[in-house]
Amino acid sequence: MTELSRRGFLGGLLAGGGALVLAACGGGARGAQTLRIQHADQTGELVANLYISVLPTGRVALVVNKAEIGQGVTTGYATMVADEIGVPLDHVDVLFAGANAALRTSANMQITGGSTSTMEAFVPLRQAAASAREMLIAAAAEQWRVPVTLCRAVDGHVEHLADKLSFGELTKHAARMPVPASPRLKTAKEFTLIGKVDRRIDARAKVDGTAQFGIDVSVPNMVNAFAIHGPVYGAKPLTVTADAAKARPGVLAVIAMPWGVAIVADKFWQARAAAADVRITWDKGLVAGLDTTKMRDALRAHDGTGEGQVSKHDGNAADALADADVTIGGVYEAPYLAHATLEPQNATVAVSGGRAEVWAPTQSPTLVQAFVANALGIDMEHVTVHVTLCGGGFGRRAIADVCAQAAMIAAHVKRPVKLTWTRESDMTQAWYRPIYSVKVEGALRGGKVTGARIHAVSQSIALSGKTLFGAALSKLPGPVVDMVTNAALALFSTSSFGDIFATEGIANSPYQLGNFELSSEPVQTKLPVAFWRSVGNSVTGFVMEGFIDELAVAAKQDPFALRRQLLPPNSKQTRVLDALAKLSGWATPPGTGIGRGMARHFAFETECAQVVELSVVRDRIRVHRVYCVVDCGLAINPDIVKAQMEGAIIFGLSAALDQEITLVNGVVQQRNYDTFPLLRMHECPEIIVEILPSDAPPSGVGEPGLPPIAPAVANALFALTNVRLRRLPLHRAWAERGAA
Amino acid sequence: MKLVVNGNSYEVPCPADTPLLWALREEVGLTGTKFGCGKALCGACTVHVDGEPKRSCVTPCGDVVDKAIITIEGLVRDSVLHPVQQAWVEENVPQCGYCQAGQIMTAVVLLRAKPQPTDAEIDDAMSANLCRCGTYPRIRKTVHRAAELLAAAPPAVTK
Ligand code: FES
Ligand code: FES
Repeated sequence: MTELSRRGFLGGLLAGGGALVLAACGGGARGAQTLRIQHADQTGELVANLYISVLPTGRVALVVNKAEIGQGVTTGYATMVADEIGVPLDHVDVLFAGANAALRTSANMQITGGSTSTMEAFVPLRQAAASAREMLIAAAAEQWRVPVTLCRAVDGHVEHLADKLSFGELTKHAARMPVPASPRLKTAKEFTLIGKVDRRIDARAKVDGTAQFGIDVSVPNMVNAFAIHGPVYGAKPLTVTADAAKARPGVLAVIAMPWGVAIVADKFWQARAAAADVRITWDKGLVAGLDTTKMRDALRAHDGTGEGQVSKHDGNAADALADADVTIGGVYEAPYLAHATLEPQNATVAVSGGRAEVWAPTQSPTLVQAFVANALGIDMEHVTVHVTLCGGGFGRRAIADVCAQAAMIAAHVKRPVKLTWTRESDMTQAWYRPIYSVKVEGALRGGKVTGARIHAVSQSIALSGKTLFGAALSKLPGPVVDMVTNAALALFSTSSFGDIFATEGIANSPYQLGNFELSSEPVQTKLPVAFWRSVGNSVTGFVMEGFIDELAVAAKQDPFALRRQLLPPNSKQTRVLDALAKLSGWATPPGTGIGRGMARHFAFETECAQVVELSVVRDRIRVHRVYCVVDCGLAINPDIVKAQMEGAIIFGLSAALDQEITLVNGVVQQRNYDTFPLLRMHECPEIIVEILPSDAPPSGVGEPGLPPIAPAVANALFALTNVRLRRLPLHRAWAERGAA
Repeated sequence: MKLVVNGNSYEVPCPADTPLLWALREEVGLTGTKFGCGKALCGACTVHVDGEPKRSCVTPCGDVVDKAIITIEGLVRDSVLHPVQQAWVEENVPQCGYCQAGQIMTAVVLLRAKPQPTDAEIDDAMSANLCRCGTYPRIRKTVHRAAELLAAAPPAVTK
């Protein structure tokens, strides 16, 4: 997959504005049509709109303005386009869009996040394809002198009775046809690929070694950089002794930067080897003294009796608690987490004459522009971005700090530079999932739930966002910083209540708990926090579902039965839950020695519920099986939906059981996969996924599978052992149970 | 120093202690072998050395001179995928794809030693290869599928 740079000159002219809808349907201006015809006459290509071109070979070039981070967006988009335009899936070639203001389709950003890609494109991208199809049909109909209504597009051809013309034969003529104002979209009954395709278009390149990730980029005259970051986040080098390193073969420069030391050499292996010969003293950094053990105590001390911002108030929770005959509660806690994408952060940047060109595995070309423009003191519009495949994303690649660092090195050595971080830098310089401490209290009277009060304390992404982005983008004009910050925050949030990320997933919880009060309170540090797969939901799912399980115990009710009572009747939630009970055989008791627990969560417009079966062997939690039911609207590619559920469950299970980022005296203690473990093959449960059939438009898929897994495990553990763990990761909480 | 990779000889200018990973990626020009951790913790860099799976990030070039090194690119013959790669495609194993070269290289060696592995044998052989995207359930299933394909049509051996 390569990028279609020659589209650049057409891009600006054919764009109808910022919105995908306009770009897809627009291009009606006279100038654009003239240009389209000229282009078709010269090249044989029909450039139908910003997204879709039909080539004289009959192949369809599709510009994707999203990052392929493994979630299958390229296959999904290609499927929608192939189906709508009428070609087999393997006739579509995907090209990643560079940074282009006309392609800022998400909150005025080009960004992949919030599980929005399919939701966002489902209608407009098919409109773009339908528009091209109608132009091709119009061209054929004109040649045959028959009404367009009698022609149809099938398998890369337009047909009328026995007449047949291939798309490739029609492109020049089609370019002369008017751009349809409102092209007709296929109905669900007419779909031939959507909901049916069962393969990925990127699989072959990802098994034969040809897939090009950011780390594989090579450009003419390129040199390589190795970065040494300080022991404490944000530390600046005070002194750098590098004479021996500079004398090594291939080494071109050793540069003290505000964020660390860069060693530049012809080859990365040379720069890497030279690092052993560099001596550095550091200043104390931005988070000197930060200690997560102390922080945990400090967070717990904010118990809701102090400041707090009330974000939801139904009835009177305080009265309900006072009048209760049973109250329950506790503090749910979650640590900082790193993304640990298997491909470490990297970027290749060339700088010259006030312009920069960037090749990067990024979730946001717009943020790459912002970070690089800021680092170099140039205009965002002067930063060209080429997007590569990403070896995982999970939110980390929305932040373009590595691109800024590569740009600064490139400006210094005046050659294109590829900067590849070590795993240790990747782990200690992440923009972490924030730390949380959430106090819950529940009231019951006569066995019925009568109210709840929840107070969420966390390092706030929303509030840190502006400060941290502001610090990271100190040279950009204020309005630009506001633009990128607000847009990124808006995109990743699924809720607009109070401190959005602290309470999303609680504030919009579908449970009807009677009297309810929700408040939140931010605790700020200079350790950067940002978006981690499912963002706030990664914690609030754990909180809400553990809490509901505790209510069920207190009410002496089956956890499934209580959930069903508290959820709106005949809802998406109850449909998913009923299907899960059936799939998991909830009515039949689990085997001896097996604990079974349930959890559900609604996020990114998708409902997902899971049942876990586990046992405990020598203090290790062994998850044997996970049943998962999901309602994500129409599943474009059901096997990819299934893969995302599997992936999110495993990603979430790694975090639930073992992962945490801790700091001692400002130093992140986890540096590689030995201390920040990922689940391994032999620890991986059997996962059974059921996708509920739906006619609703597609909703989120990449993230919603994650929030239910941690609480389902904690609830299963309680069912087995009577020990309620309210703290992640669970193995640590298990080892320290009774201690706090 | 001379490296024999996928049946071809390359003269590489690296000192003997340079990790094979970087010689392959930067000097031989084969980037299918990936850098994940640099400490033999993830398996992304797995290649075959004389038929054995090796973590190329911690294997000094000097140790593998004149040995038969096979990378992910070397499994493909005349554009035809190795049966293990073919099984990977059929079962839609890759998500981001970054770990998959290492996974496949490990699976190929497993299937040579155990043409019909049990789940436990698969877990044993594959558990040191990390996947951040969580493709393990599919890998487990696909190794069985690959065993079937291999039994039907064993590939030629690259020396
Ligand atoms: S890069 Fe070699 S094992 Fe991770
Ligand atoms: S497929 Fe992404 S790391 Fe394995």
